[in-house]
Amino acid sequence: MRTSVFEEKLDAQAKDDRVKKLEAQPAKNLVSRDKRQTVGEINVDDPRMTCRNVNVYYSDKHAIKDVSLDIGRNEVIAMIGPSGCGKSTFLRCLNRMNDTIDICRVTGEIKLDEMDIYDKDIDVVPLRVQVGMVFQKPNPFPKSIYDNIAYGPRIHGLAQSKAEMDHIVETSLKRTGLWDEVHDRMDQPGTGLSGGQQQRLCIARTIAVNPEVILMDEPCSALDPIATAVIEDLIRELRKQYTIAIVTHSMTQAARVSQRTAYFHLGDLIEVGATEQIFTRPRHQLTEDYITGRFG
Amino acid sequence: MRTMDIVTQGLKKRYAAEKRFRMLGLAAIIASMLFLGLLFVSIISNGYTAFWQTFIRLEVYFDPEMLPWDALETADYPGLVKKTLRTMFPDAQGRKDKRMLYKLASTGASFQLRDMVLKNPKLVGQQAEVWVPADDDVDMLIKGHFDRNLPESERRLNDKQLAWIDSLAENDAIQKKFNTTFFTAGDSREPELAGIRGAAMGSFYTLVITLVLSFPIGVAAAVYLEEFAPRNRWTDLIEVNINNLAAVPSIVFGLLGLAVFLNFFGLPRSAPLVGGLVLTLMTLPTIIIASRAALLSVPPSIREAALGVGASKMQVVAHHVLPLALPGMLTGTIIGMARALGESAPLLMIGMVAFIVDIPGGFTDPATALPVQIYLWVDSPERAFVERTSAAVMVLLGFLIAMNATAVILRKKFERRW
Repeated sequence: MRTSVFEEKLDAQAKDDRVKKLEAQPAKNLVSRDKRQTVGEINVDDPRMTCRNVNVYYSDKHAIKDVSLDIGRNEVIAMIGPSGCGKSTFLRCLNRMNDTIDICRVTGEIKLDEMDIYDKDIDVVPLRVQVGMVFQKPNPFPKSIYDNIAYGPRIHGLAQSKAEMDHIVETSLKRTGLWDEVHDRMDQPGTGLSGGQQQRLCIARTIAVNPEVILMDEPCSALDPIATAVIEDLIRELRKQYTIAIVTHSMTQAARVSQRTAYFHLGDLIEVGATEQIFTRPRHQLTEDYITGRFG
Repeated sequence: MRTMDIVTQGLKKRYAAEKRFRMLGLAAIIASMLFLGLLFVSIISNGYTAFWQTFIRLEVYFDPEMLPWDALETADYPGLVKKTLRTMFPDAQGRKDKRMLYKLASTGASFQLRDMVLKNPKLVGQQAEVWVPADDDVDMLIKGHFDRNLPESERRLNDKQLAWIDSLAENDAIQKKFNTTFFTAGDSREPELAGIRGAAMGSFYTLVITLVLSFPIGVAAAVYLEEFAPRNRWTDLIEVNINNLAAVPSIVFGLLGLAVFLNFFGLPRSAPLVGGLVLTLMTLPTIIIASRAALLSVPPSIREAALGVGASKMQVVAHHVLPLALPGMLTGTIIGMARALGESAPLLMIGMVAFIVDIPGGFTDPATALPVQIYLWVDSPERAFVERTSAAVMVLLGFLIAMNATAVILRKKFERRW
């Protein structure tokens, strides 16, 4: 799943130019470590999702501390940070998966296209159709490959006939690059595929219900480098149609796939900004510490 | 190399301990197989003879004088049997001798002749050979359970009767045939006429009610407690109570059944319906506990995946969790059913421990159950009931083995490999 070679070259060229420009600027003074206010521009024009003053508590533990962030339309935003900093927790707030945890309490305002998703009149079922999720460990259903993809459209009534359902399944598999590999064994169990194929199956399952936002929680951490590269290509391709928020502990991955990056540290959103800027000219000391390998 | 020396030194002791443990395990298995074998051998050796019944061939003349056309139903069939026997053995003179003679054939012979005539009235006026069941004392003699060489006063059959039996044997008029009565008849005071069909049908109806009620209720309760119920003091209390109920002596459920189902609701006594309700109460805790364990074994990643695609809680449970938990639930259910099949104490209080002759035709007819039948026959003095009791135990064990085999097959069929 690649863009044309020519486009890639143009992209790389433009990136190189921008990085050179950033590195040419003199080093600014970095915000000191004890300041936990968010540095950088949290707002974007025409955001797909907006988060304001989000706090998450696990019983008494304050896991996410007053985070505000915008997620732009058709962009890939990466959330990075050391283990236990709350990036997965924050991600799970965006499609209310934290509702399944009894002791978890979420306050603040999270809006999807001007609609507050934590409003008490909101039904989580259609929300999760609009905001899909791909998990760290591939978790295909123990059903056939066809049924894995078809399950979502089936329960939401998205296909009126078998032919329509076949079309949805084929399209989803083609977009994730699995069609050529599995089209002749659609009735075999999804759990019989390799790790990378399973994760692509899970991504295909997510896009089969036509979401607007896709949340990815460390999707490549359980995969080998080649499978990882395939999925990263896929993310770049999917960006044209979907908004993607990806949590990753690999900074190089964040640098490769995302346009914006948000750095979390112990529940605070420390810095957010364009990916190139975060990795070459971070403005907060903690961000600089993290990307230079001081911790994490 | 010091570490390796220490390790090698300790190896001998470790391996010796492991070997001892393995031997213990093997010995335990062998001991249990031995006892199991003993159980089967003793039951089968006692019971296999019950599947044959001695029959006597009577040369019956269906005398029209004894069987008037207009009163065939109320004719004197016992008299017909007696007349036939007198004709076959003219040497029986005097009341005492004749009484001895009549004792050779079963009392059921007269009913057999009656059924024949009513079915085919053209028999009247004809001669026919009829095989009738022999009395249980004769049966025991032919099967070798009575010692012929004991002095006459210690025997149940006197010398004259033995002589008659021997002459029947010489004419090939006494034979052992397959005992279909055992499988087609209900309970009876006479061993040669007794069968397990009544008890088997009673057990069947009872278990149907138990299965139909306990499986859905048990599974639904487990699903609710595991998936939907909030975790607080009340649900903890419920869980403790369910675990305790699984260990309550089964006769207590019988008392509950008497008080609630019979006295309060006024359901018919001795009916499989009530028996099924009581056994449902007894099996529910087992099914709930097994089902909860099965539900817990479904990985949370499947639930998250389903929720992530936009399935509602109910759909996650119905489409994903339940199918994966089904093998465990089925196993628990069949184990519960097997236990219910073998219970007789809870049926005591609700009237299913009784001498019931008719074969139940439905859920509200009075009935008894297989283990109860065994218990009642054990109490009977006739020697012939000893082998029938063991035969009934064999039938019960056969059902239990079949049920457990079904459990294993179903579990294997529905097992999913991750």
